[in-house]
Amino acid sequence: MDLVSDQGLRIDGRRPKELRKIRCKLGVFAQPEGSAYLEQGNTKVLAAVYGPHQVRNRSKALHDAAVVNCQYSMATFSTFERKRRPRGDIKSTEMTLHLKQAMQASIKTELYPYSQIDIYLEVLQADGGNYCACVNAATLALVDAGIPLKEYVIGCTASLGNGDVPLIDVSHLEETMGGSNLTVAVLPLSGQIAVLEMSQKFHVDHLSLVLNEALDGCRRIYEILNDTVKNHLSEIGAISGWGKSDL
Amino acid sequence: MLTSKTFLRKTKRGNVLKIVREHYLRDDIGCGSKVCKKCAILVEEQEAVLDDQLPDALSKAYKNPHYLIVDTNVVLHQIDVLEADVLCNVIILQTVLEEVKHRSSTIYKRLKDIINDKRRKFYVFVNEHHKDTYLEREAGETANDRNDRAIRVAVKWYDLHLSASQAHVSAKKRIRIVLLTDDAANCEKATKEGLFAASVEDYVCCLKDSKGLEDKISRSESHFDEGSKEIFPCHLTPVQIHDGVKSGKLLQGSFQASRENFLEGQVSVESFEKPILVQGYDGLNRAVDGDVVAVELLPEDQWSAPSEIVLQNDEVEDEEEIVEKVLKVETKQEKTPTGKIVGIIRRKWRQYCGILQHNALQNTTRHIFVPAERKIPKIRIETRQAPTLMEKRIIVAIDSWSRYSRYPSGHFVRALGKIGDKETENEVLLLEHDVPHSRFSEKVLSFLPKLPWIITDEDVAKRTDLRHLDVCSVDPPGCTDIDDALHCFQKPNGNYEVGVHIADVSHFIRPGTALDDEAALRATTVYLVDKRIDMVPDLLSSNLCSLKGGEERFAFSCVWELTPNAQIVGTRFHKSIIRSRAALTYEEAQLIIDDDKQQTSVAKSLRGLNKLAKVLKKRRIENGALVLASPEIRFYIDSETHDPIEVQAKQIRETNSMVEEFMLLANISVAEKIFAEFPEHAILRRHPIPPPSNFEPLVKAANYLGFEMNTNSNKELAESLDAAVKEGNAYFNTMLRILATRCMLQAVYFSSGVVTKEDFYHYGLAVPIYTHFTSPIRRYADILVHRLLAACIGADVTYPDLLDKKKMNNICHNLNYRNRMAQYAGRASVALHTHIFFREKVQNEEGYVLFVRKNALQILIPKYGLEGTLYLYPPKGMKQEVSFVYNEENHTQSYKNIVFHMFDPVTVQLTLDRSNIQHEKLVFKLVKPFIPNFSVSSIDEESKENVTRVEENVSEECGDKAGTSRNPVVLQQMKRKDEDFRSKDSSRKKKHKK
Amino acid sequence: MSIKSTLNDSNKPLVCVPGQRLCLLDNEHVSGNGTYEHQGYIHSSLAGIVKISEKTENNVKRNLIEVHGINEQSIVPAPGDIVTAKVMVLNQRYCKCLIKCIGDVVLSRPYRAILRKEDIRATDKDRIDVYKCYRPGDIILARVLPLTEIHSYQLSTAESELGVVIAHSDAGVPMIPISWTEMQCPKTHNKEPRKVARIVPENAPV
Repeated sequence: MDLVSDQGLRIDGRRPKELRKIRCKLGVFAQPEGSAYLEQGNTKVLAAVYGPHQVRNRSKALHDAAVVNCQYSMATFSTFERKRRPRGDIKSTEMTLHLKQAMQASIKTELYPYSQIDIYLEVLQADGGNYCACVNAATLALVDAGIPLKEYVIGCTASLGNGDVPLIDVSHLEETMGGSNLTVAVLPLSGQIAVLEMSQKFHVDHLSLVLNEALDGCRRIYEILNDTVKNHLSEIGAISGWGKSDL
Repeated sequence: MLTSKTFLRKTKRGNVLKIVREHYLRDDIGCGSKVCKKCAILVEEQEAVLDDQLPDALSKAYKNPHYLIVDTNVVLHQIDVLEADVLCNVIILQTVLEEVKHRSSTIYKRLKDIINDKRRKFYVFVNEHHKDTYLEREAGETANDRNDRAIRVAVKWYDLHLSASQAHVSAKKRIRIVLLTDDAANCEKATKEGLFAASVEDYVCCLKDSKGLEDKISRSESHFDEGSKEIFPCHLTPVQIHDGVKSGKLLQGSFQASRENFLEGQVSVESFEKPILVQGYDGLNRAVDGDVVAVELLPEDQWSAPSEIVLQNDEVEDEEEIVEKVLKVETKQEKTPTGKIVGIIRRKWRQYCGILQHNALQNTTRHIFVPAERKIPKIRIETRQAPTLMEKRIIVAIDSWSRYSRYPSGHFVRALGKIGDKETENEVLLLEHDVPHSRFSEKVLSFLPKLPWIITDEDVAKRTDLRHLDVCSVDPPGCTDIDDALHCFQKPNGNYEVGVHIADVSHFIRPGTALDDEAALRATTVYLVDKRIDMVPDLLSSNLCSLKGGEERFAFSCVWELTPNAQIVGTRFHKSIIRSRAALTYEEAQLIIDDDKQQTSVAKSLRGLNKLAKVLKKRRIENGALVLASPEIRFYIDSETHDPIEVQAKQIRETNSMVEEFMLLANISVAEKIFAEFPEHAILRRHPIPPPSNFEPLVKAANYLGFEMNTNSNKELAESLDAAVKEGNAYFNTMLRILATRCMLQAVYFSSGVVTKEDFYHYGLAVPIYTHFTSPIRRYADILVHRLLAACIGADVTYPDLLDKKKMNNICHNLNYRNRMAQYAGRASVALHTHIFFREKVQNEEGYVLFVRKNALQILIPKYGLEGTLYLYPPKGMKQEVSFVYNEENHTQSYKNIVFHMFDPVTVQLTLDRSNIQHEKLVFKLVKPFIPNFSVSSIDEESKENVTRVEENVSEECGDKAGTSRNPVVLQQMKRKDEDFRSKDSSRKKKHKK
Repeated sequence: MSIKSTLNDSNKPLVCVPGQRLCLLDNEHVSGNGTYEHQGYIHSSLAGIVKISEKTENNVKRNLIEVHGINEQSIVPAPGDIVTAKVMVLNQRYCKCLIKCIGDVVLSRPYRAILRKEDIRATDKDRIDVYKCYRPGDIILARVLPLTEIHSYQLSTAESELGVVIAHSDAGVPMIPISWTEMQCPKTHNKEPRKVARIVPENAPV
């Protein structure tokens, strides 16, 4: 089945370079330091950030930086068929490590020695691009928690449809039906790539094409998230009088 | 705007999944009409396809200029009406397009071709994603109803949308939409909503200028009900079939009709080793050759055996009698699993060539169409053009087959030409074998290099310069596409350097171009007796790629250092430039070798090659390579009439074998190299080991004649064949080898990532790995191998598709399919020309009995490579004094003291029976051994006269057509087959395939 | 790029996000809390508003660029900070405390800290009886020492301003300090030894 029809539309009606609808909200929970909810198409993710606080496991503490601890978990109802193991299986563990790698690239950990920052991610509905939605949600939660970041970390997927048309933000159906997928987590303003993952081999000719598209997608997601953050700040900030009264 | 589509789906295990998908609705989809100004601004990139200036009143019924919108069933059933050039400015809705894709991929492909043809002005409107025309399914509505409603909503939207842009135009002249649908309910609902709707029949009949379109309409079944006599049982519903297959009660397989007996066929099911037999009207139940069917096994006591008689559809009148004949089982015959077909899972109908049967009734539009392919039943069609079509070959498509009708019903598509006319017959042949034979399009030709073509310094820098080597090529006479050349000389250390240089086609055919796509589609050059359908355009095949004598050409060289004992010391591959010293024929080369006075370097080269080739051959035979035989002939064509004048069996010389050996060696070396570099993506060729059951006919035949055939391995088989010689019957051994050839499976191309290494084995050649490298001009597989090899040596880069396993697999499937079809087409062409040759001739020829059947003897005439049936029983209604006795155990037919065994020599008289124009039959009559009241007398004197008289008539009979050259052209029909066959892989005579 | 001017023009504070470039890093601009330097520019690392304050250093006027987030910033005890801690467990050699506030910022999650015997008082370190200085449940002010051990923070109350601020007596009533080493329960009039902090009241005359 063709992923891109002759009229230039994908299965769900998007054009190849269009992103899915992104909706996000910061500060959805009261208890964690920071929290965020992000929807990318039908993929829905919740992120909660705790910290920085004292390291739980003393042996793992670093004397000059904070330890970033991630946990990725998929709700049992998040996929087509009920998942029996929300966390701890191989795929989740791999995702956790990649998330850690992505977030560590941006958090200014040197400000918090001997402490730990916990990031918890829960996928409520998985429809392709789980990793990217998690990265984006985690970024928002960190911003909400007030943890200093170098920049946002934005994730995006890209793939090739019909062999040579680059597609951005692939849904689950397109992931399974199409060829190789490229997932990238990027710091958009400086253009540095934190995580890059390919699900299968790409031919050399195609790699740069797909990568550029993914980076472009990241930039566009950045715009969207940025707007949300600014709106949130303006609202909340205005209400709470910008934190301490003496400033 | 975003909505979501939710639907439930059942998985294979029976779980029910709820699938939720996003569905985006857009506002940037244009209507595609040049009239509309809104969309032109909105969507700049999209081309407006539909005309704004329409001729008024195309139709008597609808006076406004209008566009058409078609419903799914119209596309599925009336695709021929749409394909004809009459209807233009048609809007295909996305709903319709997707449904068609889902239901029939062949029709979908044809629809896409029409859409891509810009002159037809077909526009695809993406109504599912347009925010104004998207619909959700209402509660209680079926999917079909919803789709129909979506179509009506789209029609309405179009009407409104276009009228908005046509405010200045008067109502009578406004462009409207007409909905074409054969569904009466839909039509009614549409008319109620104020839309124009019509059925295809009504619309076409109202057209002012229909140009014979009415004939192409496919009618619904009700037309052809003959009373209410049920001839066939009902088919099961798809749900019942699915449940049956799942539970194991029913089996799924593909149906193959029997060529000899129209009431018999077999269904090959994957899990069964032997195919299931189906017989009789009940058993066949309207299955057509090629369909995927569901079959129910009958209980063992009802099992039957394939009938040994040959039964043709035209002879039959009385049904009871046929049924009795067919189902009468010989008690001694082995019973095979028998079943009955209860449902059709997928129809594999295509367009069929054939003729109209003479209709006794005058002034009727109903006719019977007789397809050229015997396996297809007759078809009822309706046409008004019968008188003109009577003498022509026509193409017909099947629409349906009702229970009440003995034959399926179909409709006329187009006419080809006069029957018996060679061009027409060639056309029929090519169509029936699905051989693409149209002229190369402009787009394809645009990728050819511009003349004059010269070798630049840049080219020389990139390639190895071998122009100093004395290279020569050896090919059949009259060959213009020379793809291989050889050289050989002795080195100071006593070893030989041998080089095989192959035309560098992959330099000219770059991947991804239209030229490449066309070559990939054609997959091979098809050799008919009088025509050659090229895979690549002439400029390349006969000029720039061909290694012509005296010309500098690009080549891909494989150079070995061989010891005098033909052991490979080293191998090198490079892209090179060569200059062939001479393009010799096999005969010329043989003469040079034999003539001691010739001491040129070319002569020494040839002798060296010859010597080494003999060593190589001997080694191959020791390893178990098979030497098989097939009766090969060549036609001599008269230059003016282009009719066969004489037929000659091929002569095999040493030089044939010499070239062949080195081609094999090159293929093997290349195979090893590309497999080493690309273990997952190498294109290779394998010849699977035939299962023991394939050898049964050979073993049985040999046994009857007192010889043992050991089929355990190819080596043992080769030895057994060598040992089976009969004194006094020189052709005996050849006949056995012919039989052996028929037991083989087809050799196939495959991609190495798909098959395990053990299965790479080539049975016929007895080598562990093999590929095709040496003929890129006429085989596409060789071009792919060239590309892989070039990447191995760093002379070229790979491209994504080359390393895509799925795509390569598909390409291999296509290559295998086209090769098979090309072989069948070649054989059919030979048969055609043989028949033409025998028109008006009566000749006596020597032959041998190939098989002994219950009612006939199969005779093989080696001179023409012909096989035919000598009937021992009289045709129906006639009496014969002589009655033969069939002895089943010994497989003999005898009368008094004359016994016919297998492989016995006989003399027969050949005549051509032209009573059935479509299937001209060669009639065999026995001459020797002489049996009074049965054999015909040898009419030597008479026949000689006839022959000379006939030759003059021959030119009147058949029309002359444009040929290739003025000189008596000796057919190169066997040239390439020669090489392939000699290579012992897929020989033309291999019939069985599993 | 001068943000100061923009700030003065409009009354609305400038909102920034992490990674946003604020201004050029040169002699006039210095990066403060919530910002970092990268490739010659000052970038914000928090989501919040930009505050520019003037700072005079060695007679050179500089602008300190800071970003303040809306929430309380998560703070980690840094060496030298004055923290408010609650004593949890006592031992002859040290007492375990839970840091509840750092400076003015109340922590949502307390940090563990250790106050060693030798760090309780500046003088007479050897002959200190921990039980006579602190009891479990006391709220103390302490200073964070430079980190040596990895497990927990080290505190010191070896200053007169540091020590017990609030303590409850056995009766459960908050006690009143009567001297630097004793506190009295108002109800039972019992005296208990503590190391009391010398807190300067806010509205006390300077």
